[in-house]
Amino acid sequence: MIVNKELPKISVDNASIAYTNQDFAEPHLAVKDVTLEVSANEFLVVVGPSGCGKSSLLAAIAGFLTPQGGSIKLNGKQIEGPGADRGVVFQDYALLPWKTVLDNVGLGLKFRGMSKAERDKIAREHLALCGLADAEAKYPHQLSGGMRQRAAVARTLANQPEVMLMDEPFAAVDAQTRMTLQEELVRIWQQTEVTVFFVTHSVEEAIFLGDRVMVLSSGPGEIKAMVDIDIERKDRDLSSLNSNPRFQALRDEITRLVRQDAA
Amino acid sequence: MKTLKLRPYLLAATPFIGILILWTVLPSLLSVPAYKLPSPQLVWTKAIELTGDGSLLQHILVSLYRLALGFIVGNLLAVPIGIAIGVNRHASDFLLPLLTFLQSIAGIAWIPLAVLWFGIGDGAIIFVIANIIFFSNLYNTVIGVESIPQAYYRAVLSLGASRFDILKTVIIPGAFVQLIVGFRSSMAFGWRALIGAELIAGTTGLGYMTLDAVQWYQTETVILGMIIVGVIWLVMDRFLFRKLETMTVRRWGILQDK
Repeated sequence: MIVNKELPKISVDNASIAYTNQDFAEPHLAVKDVTLEVSANEFLVVVGPSGCGKSSLLAAIAGFLTPQGGSIKLNGKQIEGPGADRGVVFQDYALLPWKTVLDNVGLGLKFRGMSKAERDKIAREHLALCGLADAEAKYPHQLSGGMRQRAAVARTLANQPEVMLMDEPFAAVDAQTRMTLQEELVRIWQQTEVTVFFVTHSVEEAIFLGDRVMVLSSGPGEIKAMVDIDIERKDRDLSSLNSNPRFQALRDEITRLVRQDAA
Repeated sequence: MKTLKLRPYLLAATPFIGILILWTVLPSLLSVPAYKLPSPQLVWTKAIELTGDGSLLQHILVSLYRLALGFIVGNLLAVPIGIAIGVNRHASDFLLPLLTFLQSIAGIAWIPLAVLWFGIGDGAIIFVIANIIFFSNLYNTVIGVESIPQAYYRAVLSLGASRFDILKTVIIPGAFVQLIVGFRSSMAFGWRALIGAELIAGTTGLGYMTLDAVQWYQTETVILGMIIVGVIWLVMDRFLFRKLETMTVRRWGILQDK
C-alpha cells in the first residue's frame, strides 16, 4: 500500500461522541468537539480524569461508537464501524477462553482465510516478539494477568493493523509487571512501526510511553492540552526516570492539568 | 499414595453401604412384610433372573434409546432457536412470551395429549422427553448467549470477523458454556420425564417394567427398577457429563475444580 507521509494516520475533526447505557436515560455526551491528528508511527497517549471520555474517544476510533458530530478518519477515509486496520487491546484482555493462546493470536489471520500452518507460524513469531513463546498451548485462564495482556498484544499485532488502540491495558496488572510491560511495549512499537493510540489515567505511564500526551478535561471531555514529551527515548529508563528533572517538570505540569478537572 | 487415590471412592461408597446395611437389618427387626419392602437378597435374585432371560437389558435399552432420541431432538431445536432469541431482539420479542407460557406446562403435563396424538408407545414418550429437554436447554442457550461479554464481540470485530465468524467463534462457544453446564440438569429432567411417561404411555422400558410389576405384587422388580435408574444416571453423570465438562468448561477455566 502506498502511504502518503503527509496524510495523518488518524484525524479526528470536531468530533462529539455520545453513548447510552442503563445509567442514562438520554444519550450521554462523553467527548465534545475534539480535533486531533495522529501521524503514522506516532505513539499518542491520552490522559484525563475518570469519566473524561477518553475510552469513548478510543471506542469511536475503533468504530464501536459513531460520533454525533464531526468526523473521524483513518488515512483520510471516514471510519465506518470496526475493522482489522485498527487493532484494539482491552483492559480486560478479551481473549476467548475457549481457544488456546496460539489460536487466540492467530484469530485475525483465520478470519482472513489463511491456512492453519501459515497462521500458526505468524502467531508464533508474534508470541516470541511479546515474550510468550512457551505459552502457546495454554488456555487464557492458565496465564497471569501480565501474560494475558502480552497475548492480547500479540493477537493484535499478528493481524498487522495500521493502528493499535490500547484502552488502559496495564491498569489491571501489578506495579512490577506493569513496568516490564511498558518497556516491552516501547520495544515492540519501535520494532513494528505501528501507530499507537494509548489511553491511561497514569501520568507517569503517559510520559514514559508517549511522543505526545493529550490531556482531556472531565465530562464531556474536551482537549485541554497537547504536551510534547521532549525526553529522548534513550533517556527514558524506568529505573532513573523519576529523578530526571525534565520528567519531573512534565509530570507536575500534566498532573496539574488533570487535577484541575478531577471531581 | 494409594490410599489417597482410593479415598474419594471410599467416601462415595460409604453412604450406599450404610443404606444397604439398614435395608438388610431394619425390615426384619420391624417385621415389614416382603411385599412392602423385599430384602436386598430378594432384589438381587430378581436381578439375576431378569438379566438371565434378557428382559431387563431389553427394558434398559428401550429407555436409553428414547432418552437419547428425545435429547437429540430437543437440543437440535433448542440450540438454534435459543441462539436466535439471544442475538436478535425481534426473535426474542416474538418468541419469548409464547415459550415462557409453554415452559410452565413442559414435560409430563403433555403426556395425555401426547398419547392422543401419537398413541401409546415410543412417539408419545419421545415427544415428552424432547419437550422437556427443549425448554430446559432453550433457556440455557439464551442465557449463554446473553452472558457473552461485549468485549469478545468488539475484539473479534477489530480482528476483521464477519457475521459468520462471530457466530462460529464467539456466539456458539459462548452458548455452549451454559449449555454444557445445563446438559446435566436437563438430562436429569428428561430421565425423570422418561420414567413418568413410560408409566403411563409405555408397553416397554424401565418405567413400564416397574408399573407392570406392581400389578403382580413383584415389589422386588419395582425396587430393582429404581436402583437401575439411579445407577444408570450415576454412570451417565460420571462418564458423560463430567467428561464433557472436563474437556470443555473446566479446561477453559470457566468452571473451577475444587
